[in-house]
Order: sequence, then C-alpha cells, then structure tokens
Amino acid sequence: MSSWVGASVPVKEDLRLVAGRGRFTDDIGAPGMLHAAMLRSPHARIVSIDTAKAATHPGVAAVILGAEASRLSGPIRPLIPTTAVAPDFCLAVDRVRYVGEPVAAVAAVDRATAEDALELIMVEYDPLPAVVDPDRALEAGAPLLYPELGTNVVWHDTLSYGDVDGAMARADGVLRERFTIQRYASTPLETFGALATYDAGTDAYEFWTNDQRPGLTISIVAASLGVPQSRIRLSCPDIGGAFGNKRRPAYLLVCALLAKRTGRPVKWIEDRIENLTALMHACNGVMDVELAYRADGTLLALSVRDIADEGKNLLTPTQHNLIKLGNIANGYRIPAVRYEAWSVLTTKCPSGANRGIGKPFMCFAVERSMALLARRLGLDPAELRLRNFVTAAEMPYTTPPGAQYDSGDYPATLRRTLDRFDYAGWRAEQARARQEGRLIGIGIATSIEPAGTNLASYELITGKRMASGSAEAAMVRMEPDGHVRAAIGDPASGQGYETVIAQIVADELGLPLEGVSVARGFDSAVSPWLYLSGNYSNKFSVTDVGAVLGAARLVGDKLKRLAAHRLEIDPGDLELRDGAAMVRGAPDRRVPFSELARTAYADVLGLPPGETPGLEAHHAYQNPLAAPVDAERRVRSQLVFSNAAHCCLVEVHPRTGVVTLLKYVVVHDCGRELNPLIVEGMVHGSTVHGIGAALLEEFRYDEQGQLLTATFLDYLKPTAADVPTIEVEGMEHPSPFTPLGAKGVGEGGAIPGPAAVANAVEDALSPFDVTIRDLPITPERVWHWMQDAR
Amino acid sequence: MMTAAERLTIRLTVNDRPVEREVVVRRSLADFLRENLGLTGTHVGCEHGVCGACTVLVDGRSARSCLLFAVQLDGASVTTIEGLTPPDGLSPLQRAFCDTHAMQCGFCTPAMIVTATELLAQHPSPTEEQIRDALAAQLCMCTGYVNIVRAIQAAAGARPAMP
Repeated sequence: MSSWVGASVPVKEDLRLVAGRGRFTDDIGAPGMLHAAMLRSPHARIVSIDTAKAATHPGVAAVILGAEASRLSGPIRPLIPTTAVAPDFCLAVDRVRYVGEPVAAVAAVDRATAEDALELIMVEYDPLPAVVDPDRALEAGAPLLYPELGTNVVWHDTLSYGDVDGAMARADGVLRERFTIQRYASTPLETFGALATYDAGTDAYEFWTNDQRPGLTISIVAASLGVPQSRIRLSCPDIGGAFGNKRRPAYLLVCALLAKRTGRPVKWIEDRIENLTALMHACNGVMDVELAYRADGTLLALSVRDIADEGKNLLTPTQHNLIKLGNIANGYRIPAVRYEAWSVLTTKCPSGANRGIGKPFMCFAVERSMALLARRLGLDPAELRLRNFVTAAEMPYTTPPGAQYDSGDYPATLRRTLDRFDYAGWRAEQARARQEGRLIGIGIATSIEPAGTNLASYELITGKRMASGSAEAAMVRMEPDGHVRAAIGDPASGQGYETVIAQIVADELGLPLEGVSVARGFDSAVSPWLYLSGNYSNKFSVTDVGAVLGAARLVGDKLKRLAAHRLEIDPGDLELRDGAAMVRGAPDRRVPFSELARTAYADVLGLPPGETPGLEAHHAYQNPLAAPVDAERRVRSQLVFSNAAHCCLVEVHPRTGVVTLLKYVVVHDCGRELNPLIVEGMVHGSTVHGIGAALLEEFRYDEQGQLLTATFLDYLKPTAADVPTIEVEGMEHPSPFTPLGAKGVGEGGAIPGPAAVANAVEDALSPFDVTIRDLPITPERVWHWMQDAR
Repeated sequence: MMTAAERLTIRLTVNDRPVEREVVVRRSLADFLRENLGLTGTHVGCEHGVCGACTVLVDGRSARSCLLFAVQLDGASVTTIEGLTPPDGLSPLQRAFCDTHAMQCGFCTPAMIVTATELLAQHPSPTEEQIRDALAAQLCMCTGYVNIVRAIQAAAGARPAMP
C-alpha cells in the first residue's frame, strides 16, 4: 500500500496560485456591489458628527455612525470575558480609544468615492490624554480607557508552583533581568476584508471573508446582529496569509449593517495603513525575570513578573499572558515557577493573536537569561542548556504549571544543530576574526512549540468555564463515481491543507492522490464545523488530522461492508487498495469503488440489509489531552510540543552598527512530517518572522498615542536581501498523543528567532560588554551601545 | 484642471491584446487591471509601492501598478501574470515555483513570477546575490524567500542552492 503521508508530494494549491488563479476575498464581486470605507479617529471624545455633506455626495449610498450601529447591532461578545467588561460596538460610539479606531462607515459606488465622502464627514473631537506605556497605565491617576471600570488593569494575578522562595534562598545565585518586547505583527500580504449581503426576505446574511476562525466569528456576528446562527452563511476563499491576525468581527458587522441599509452587497477591503494601525499587534510588554541556579548551572526556580500591553483590547485580552505561563520553562527542567501577570489596557491598537502569541517574548526572556547565565558562570551557552534540558527518557514530562511535553529529544536536537552549524569551527573562526577587529557573533536559542489550544485554560483568568478543549470537524464523501471529496472547518491560509488532507484520505481509502479533492477554504453551509473550528494555534496536527482520519475510516468501513455483502465474506477479511475493496491475500476477489458507490447512491436495493444509502461521513475529533484546570491551578493550556534549536552567525559593522546575518541553521522536531516539503517551507518562513522581530519590525508610538510606523516604508519587513538561506533539518519523534504522530510546525522559528539573533549580536558585541534587553536591534541602537562602551 | 471624476479614453496593449477603455483619471493601473479588465492575478498589498504584490511588466520592465495611473499607460504594453501563463499548463518558471513549493499563501506569487521573468531576461544565469537583489523589491510574508530563490535557480538551470 502506497503511503502518501510522509512524502513530499507537490502542493496542489500551488498550481492555481502560481498562475494568479487563486481566488481571494478582493477577487470576489456581486451584482450591484458597493464599496465601503471607514473614517478613523484620533484618541478623543466625540463631541459631534455631521454627515450631511457625505450622505448627499454623488455615488454615496449610506453613511453609518457608531451611535446608530449600537442601536442596530449588539455589543461584540468577548472571547475572553474577564471581569473588566465594557460594551464594545462595531463602530466607536462616544469615545475613541486609540488612533485609528473607526467612527463612521460609508458605502458608495466605488472605494474612491467612499473615501471622498469620508473627507466630508465633520467630526468635532475633544482630545483625551494618551497612555502608551504599560508601566504608566498601571499607575494611580493614569488616564483610563474605560473610566467606568476604574482601572486599566484587565487581569492581575500571581500563580505559584513549587517552593520558589525556598529555592531562591538556597540557590548559589539568582540572575535578575528586565526585558522588553516591542509591538510587531506578521502582517499577511493580503489584508483583511469582507463582502456582505443581506436578504430581507429571510432576514439572513452571507459573508465572503478571509476570517481565519469562522466558527467563532459566526457565533459573535449572529449574536450582535440578533439573528440565529443558521441565518449566517460565512465562506472563506483562498486566504493570503493569516498568522493569527485575520479576525475582526466588527468589520463584518459594519459590512452587514451597510448591506442591510442599502439592500446591496457591500465589500470592504482593509488598506495597508488601516491594517498596520488598527487590526492587531502582538502585545508589547515588560518582563522581570529571576532565575535561581546552582554553581554548576543547574536551574532551581524561575520567577517572572510580566506586563502585557493589550492596547484597546477587551475582547481577547490575557492570551499572551496565559500562553507565556504554559511555556514558561521552555525546554528546561525547572522545579519551581512563579508567574505574576498583568494584562493592561493602553490607548493603542488592540492586541491580538500573532504567530506564536506570547511565546516569542517568553522564549526571548528565558533564552536571553540562559545566555547571560552562561556568561556569568563561564560556561559555554550550549553546555548550560544541555545540563538543564528535559531529556527524552523523562517524556512525557509535566512542567510545574501543568504543560506536558509529550515527546522529542531536546539535547539531541541542540547537538545536531551544533554539528550542522559547525559550532566548534565557527568558534575558532570567531576568535580569529576578532583579532582582525571584526565583530562576529554566534547565537543559540532553543524552543518548544506547542500545538492546539485548550480553551478551558482561560478559567484561570475568568474563573468560569466558557469554551474548552481543542477540536475540529471533517467530512469525507465518496461521490457516486468513486472519487472522493473532503472538507474541514479549518480554512487554510497557506498551509497546503488541500494537499495534506488528500494525502491522509488517499492512504486511508487506498486511492491515488488525484482520487481525492479537498474543498478550497470554508463554507459554513457546506463544511462541517464547530465553535472551535478555525485556522489557529497550530491545531491541524492535533485535531484536524483526527477529524479527517475518523471521517475517512467511516467511509472505508462502509465500503468494506458493502463489498463484503457482495463477495459474501467477512468485512474484516477485506482491505482497501488501488481503488477497490479486495480480499486480503486474494486480490483478484475485488469490487471497485465505482461499483460500490453506484450501489450506495443509485442501486440502493443492492445495499446490505440495514445500510443507509450514500457514502458520506462526518467526524468531529477532540484531542484527548485537553482537560480542565486542576485544584493546584495547573492546566494543559496547549497540548503537544514540538521543539527546535537555532544557531546563527552574525557580523556587526563596527562603524554603522548594521547587523548582517551570515548563516542560520535550524534543527526542529515536529514529530512525523506529513509533507516535508510543506514543513520545511513553514520553518523557513517562521524563522524569517523571528528575524524581522529581532532586527527590523516595530510599531512605534509617540507620547500622544500616534502610530509613527503606519506604512511599509516605516514598518520594515525582511526582504530577500536581508536574510540568508535558512538551513533546515528535521528530526522526527512522533507524538504518542496525535493521530498520526504529527505535531505543530506553523509558529516554528517565530518563537526562538528573536532570541537567537539577539544572542548572536550580544556575542558579537562582547568586546563592548553589551547586554541586550530590548528589540528590535536596529543599527542606531547598536551604534549607541558601542558608543556608550567606548 | 482635471477633476478626479474626469474620464479619458486610453488605448494600450495588455497581454498582447489591444485594449481601449474609458477610465476615471485617478484610477490606478492595479485597479484598472483588476476591476476594468477582470485580471485579478495582480494583487494589491500596500498601495504605497513597497510590497511589490502589484508588480507587472510595462514595456518589458517591472513596475508597481499601484503607483501608476491607468491613463499614464496610454500606448504602453502591459504584461500581467495572466500574460505570462501559457494557455495550457504552466511556464517553465511557474513549474519551477511549483516543484520547489516556492509559495505558501500565494498572494505574492504572481508578482514574484513577474519579477523573476524580468530578472531572467536580463541575467539568464543569475547568481544568488543577483536573485536576492531582484527579489528585494517584493515582500513575501510566508516563505522566508528560500524556496523562491531555489525556484529561480532551478528555472535558470543554475546549480541548485545548498540544501
């Protein structure tokens, strides 16, 4: 039996995408369609708005304001309902809380006309004081985003596991450092967008959108619009990258209200400035780390005080905090852990999910601490890590806060990386280069990479169970001609699901790869789905695979029963191979699928007694590792863990401070690689996200809360000239807890990348005795560090 | 003085076919291609000339279609991804992109093909540095550029990159 799973089969999607034949949200139109644009604000109280001129501008069909939107649609339901809840509508009502928050929307015959009309809307603002620094937002007397809450703090708690104070007291030393992380985002090249239609006859809405989490979005949008979920149809076409960013129910609501008002389809496509200003940023933040150790480098305890700056985000706050807690120990054996968390509002763009959510900063803090501790102890940074890794023999290993590392060989991963990099050789070369006055540095960072979110973990924050577990749904259907069609509730955004799902189904049913077609994207009226459905949290390997396998097995079992009936044999004696059900050991006794399918759909009197017609199965799968929070406040907030080690080589220009990456090696282990061609590409891309965060990307605000980096001219992304070839090698320790042994790989290099680069730059700058605490490492910063040391 | 709503008639060649259209003077070439001509393979990623997703060939040279007005193209020859794709199947360059999986979400890919076409016309056997310099005009958020470089090397018949 051929095995498609595990093979680098060509990616089906590429055939259309390479010819420009993908179908993205902005490629979709409808007869009579209008185009929307949104008026965006400073940070202020709205005194008055005059829309008279805009409303009568030629080509304008409708203008809608927040006050009206708040009557026509309900508040947006928070995903994480902390105790700090205030109503949030799709347009700002009387107060705007960050620069760029939408206050009005216009629908017009084309986008340019809609934007013309925005300029005719007269708004009188009473400016409000900004609070852009999370430390400041915590202080008494700081400007409040929601005066009715009486605080900017969404969540503050201390979670303690083991005897941290005792360990600190007994330690030979404690490393204390403060690290910060900047705001950045993965900025998918396709911006967010939606096309909404409204049918007055049935009071029903349809959306085309690149929303990456349709199950959740449908529930929120239906609740706000006051219609049953059955009257929302949401479809996702090809999605031009997502990385967590592509979700904002408010924008779907704006389109829906305009479509209902005008009776015409309304499309809104976010422009890049709107995307950078107002969609979502990863939290910036501050972390105070205390790491207790013995003289031989053994880690004894870790205490972290973490402030996450959520901007104006009351809908999905605390995500970064919670995920940091679940990954706080990185790959190390640390017996005692304390985590004090602050989730804080500021007058900035809402925080949101971004590739790795919180883990890049957690990994940065731990891996920078390991580099500093190695310096302090005079140990090689690789050796210090090797002394502290959880070993393969300890798997599955549970960390103090309850994360379970299921599989992998962390020491072997690092050793392989060092070999592949030629670590010893480059250390010698570095010493030679330094004598010539060149600043060469080597950086190591290791990481864990979880997959699947267990939403029960938010009980730690909200005190109550809302959603829980990690699950996905799939459908597999053998059509009447024997070909197979499959669909899941998870709309891909570049991960090649149409190919990987075909590999899984083809293996399960004994078909050639071209015998399986997988639906593009998502359609809530056709695709199977759950509230938990969507393209997030690395969950494909943990849940989606199980759903697809389960549905394929149901179809396969039925095929065997139909064939067994025909051949008068026990179904257990049959196997599915080469497009037929055949007797094991006697392949001449066979029934082709086409005949079985004809029986199932057309010649239904030929079915065995008790069998229903058709060959279609739905299966929803929940990963069994998810469990509620326990009495000691431990929880598996995420489910299975990949791991990686990065090693990179940088050169710092001694006069300009420019950092050049000369070599970058990644060895990673995501369990069984379902399609190594796809896996390797994701590791390349995620690593470059990490490099971007390390060296280039920063949403920078001034003291008035104005974003200073609102275009790609100011907010810099890595180009092909900025990065070397990322050398990737995979190790495969299958997870015992996923259906095919696969683990997450989507976030990958985005997690350790910033730490690896920072460690390399600090190593290069060791003649200057620099300690890197902040990102990004811009030439200006490096130049100042060198100047200050001189 | 022209107003934004004023219309002009333009005649140009798009993908080797003559086109005559009346367009609003402020319409960008990108919007003209996508909305007037239905050529949706050209994508818009930033509308300020940095990301390169809208890159097309104008008289054989790469250009940002979001930074050009359609009326500036009167008399010009424009080639888009649709014009670089054979009626049946794919070009050797496109096949190389598929063989190396030089894309993920595919949003930047048409412009990458356009840019690589221009590069290979100028440098049939480009060095890795030349390829990376040419690609530096385009942003890809998914691939880290590794497989795109490999694809162009493969298409050029050059020695493949170190694995």
